[in-house]
Amino acid sequence: MKSTHVLSAVAIAAALSGTTALAQDGEGLRIGYIVNYATHEWYQNVILGMEQRAEQLGHTVEVIDANLDMARQVAAAEDFMAREMDVIIMTPVNEEGVVPILRRARADGVPIVLEGNPAPGMQTVVAICDYDTGYLAGVAAGEALGADAEGIRVMNVGLPLLSATILRSRGFMDGLQTVIPSAEMVHDLDGGGNPDRSQEVSAAALAADSDIDVIYGINDSSALGALQAWRAAGLPEDDLMVVGTGAEGLAFLNEMQTEGPYQLEAAMFPEKIGFTAIDTAVALFNGEEVPEYVISPTTALTLGEVSSYYSYDGESREIQWDAVNALEAPEQCMMYASDL
Amino acid sequence: MRDLTDDDRSGALLRRVFNSEYGFLVVVLTLLVVGLSLAATNFLTPSNAVAILHQSSLVLIVAVGMTFLLITAEVDISVGANLAFASCVVMDVINQTNSVALGALAGIAFGAGVGLINAFVTLVLKVNSLIGTIAMMMALQGGVYLYTREAVQNHHQIEIFPKIATGFILGIPVPVVFAAVVALAGWFYLARTRGGRLVFASGANEAAVRLSGYSPARVKFGAFVMTGALVGLAAVILASLLNAGQPTAGTGFELTVIAAVLLGGTSLMGGRGTILGTVLAVLILKIIDNGIIMLRWNQDLQIIVPGLVLILALYMDQKKRGPAHG
Repeated sequence: MKSTHVLSAVAIAAALSGTTALAQDGEGLRIGYIVNYATHEWYQNVILGMEQRAEQLGHTVEVIDANLDMARQVAAAEDFMAREMDVIIMTPVNEEGVVPILRRARADGVPIVLEGNPAPGMQTVVAICDYDTGYLAGVAAGEALGADAEGIRVMNVGLPLLSATILRSRGFMDGLQTVIPSAEMVHDLDGGGNPDRSQEVSAAALAADSDIDVIYGINDSSALGALQAWRAAGLPEDDLMVVGTGAEGLAFLNEMQTEGPYQLEAAMFPEKIGFTAIDTAVALFNGEEVPEYVISPTTALTLGEVSSYYSYDGESREIQWDAVNALEAPEQCMMYASDL
Repeated sequence: MRDLTDDDRSGALLRRVFNSEYGFLVVVLTLLVVGLSLAATNFLTPSNAVAILHQSSLVLIVAVGMTFLLITAEVDISVGANLAFASCVVMDVINQTNSVALGALAGIAFGAGVGLINAFVTLVLKVNSLIGTIAMMMALQGGVYLYTREAVQNHHQIEIFPKIATGFILGIPVPVVFAAVVALAGWFYLARTRGGRLVFASGANEAAVRLSGYSPARVKFGAFVMTGALVGLAAVILASLLNAGQPTAGTGFELTVIAAVLLGGTSLMGGRGTILGTVLAVLILKIIDNGIIMLRWNQDLQIIVPGLVLILALYMDQKKRGPAHG
């Protein structure tokens, strides 16, 4: 029995030293990711991208869900630090709430990569440019409608609670107006980012004024909820264009494939964000110089272009890494939250 | 003896309006309709009326069940979480069987099953229904993510399925027809049958019901299961409306439903309530929601207003029951 314990201790020590030796070479890293809301499709795909990239590079990723609870996120970060994870990636539940953890990590020499939202005292954040995402979709929508289109009326199903989603809506209108200057926002709604709320507020707005040419949703759920409100009102779909944002999961693919009004998707490629977060985490661990803002690319996709970036069999989707990795990310965003 | 002045008369009239079963609700509804018609030119239009009725239907279907439950002096806080879970079940079963009927039955059975468990926890395990159904809400909110990590998409593309929520029968939206049938059946049962009188009696005086040879527990059991089944029916419409089973749907739904039922005059202490009152209250809440958007007011008010309405309803309930009830 005693010899078994000794053998086990030796084995654990060997395993730990092996891990450390590997980690020192920048290989076999133990990366901890604290996601803020793992049940959302978006984050499931972020995690998928992380796991795929980590496997390619020979690292392991452990995920803890904070489930929108700041206290749980702090506890998870402390747990990862106590277990001496090589790098930590976090999607902050609250930007201010992670500041003490960032401070402590810096003091302890633990590299932390933020995902999504920047926070004071951070080393680096991997994120998309929200304004640019909306802007590119707005330009694409304008081009699809034609520069000579007049009096284009837009219903924005937004989320004014978050600066990121305000930037998307503003970017969309600015992009659209660069092609069609007379385009105007008729309804500016708070759909809460979820489909049932978006459906409800859109139904009331459409009852007030249904003379709408374009529906823009700050995420796929918002766009789809508004589209369902349009259908419930019995309005004709022939001249309507719906533009969603995110490429979060299967819902937009499902709808686009019906070749109905859902014609454009401002794709943000969550898998690519996960991929980039792992690359950034490894670079940070290796002591390489990493920019404060690492931008993940986005682009506007039509039905004809979607299949180049995602294969879809009706049940699941698979990202096409070659096409997504070929997209160029801008060096800096056109507008940041601080510009609002 | 002093002659009645105009002030006395108007005061008495106000008291009568407030104390009558529907007077207050009718006055509020009328004021809202007149006020919004004057303030928003597009308010009083057929399309807006259809939109309001459409929005009211989901809440009304569940509120009918909740009226029964509150009259028996019980409550179900899990209806929102049940709605979300059941909508996923509906879509999943239709995807697997290619049968809308089977999907609808599965959703209704799931909802009723939740109601059955709530009844068991409340009536057999003797856990207060407020606490027991909060626990059920938590179990359902977590459980739905064990069932599916993402929205259950429409993979069947059956043509009739979206029509459940977006179709029309004689110009009336299908969900409104469902809600009207449920409300009529609920009204008839409560107001015109012996079973309805037992529902009131079970909430007002359990001991008397028992002494009369009936089982108040059986009546409450039925009310829990019926509320659950109606949530299942609402879930069928919701899945059709969103073209997906949404695990995140139904947030705050239970509060809207309970606020409507209480505003409609159903007593929180049981023994009193009407379906017509609930119908009027649902319309009031949905017209307020609609009006806020029509007037382009801050939409946060849509969350604040039901809260204020709930306080008002509880205050009025207390006033009606008199000072002895506190």
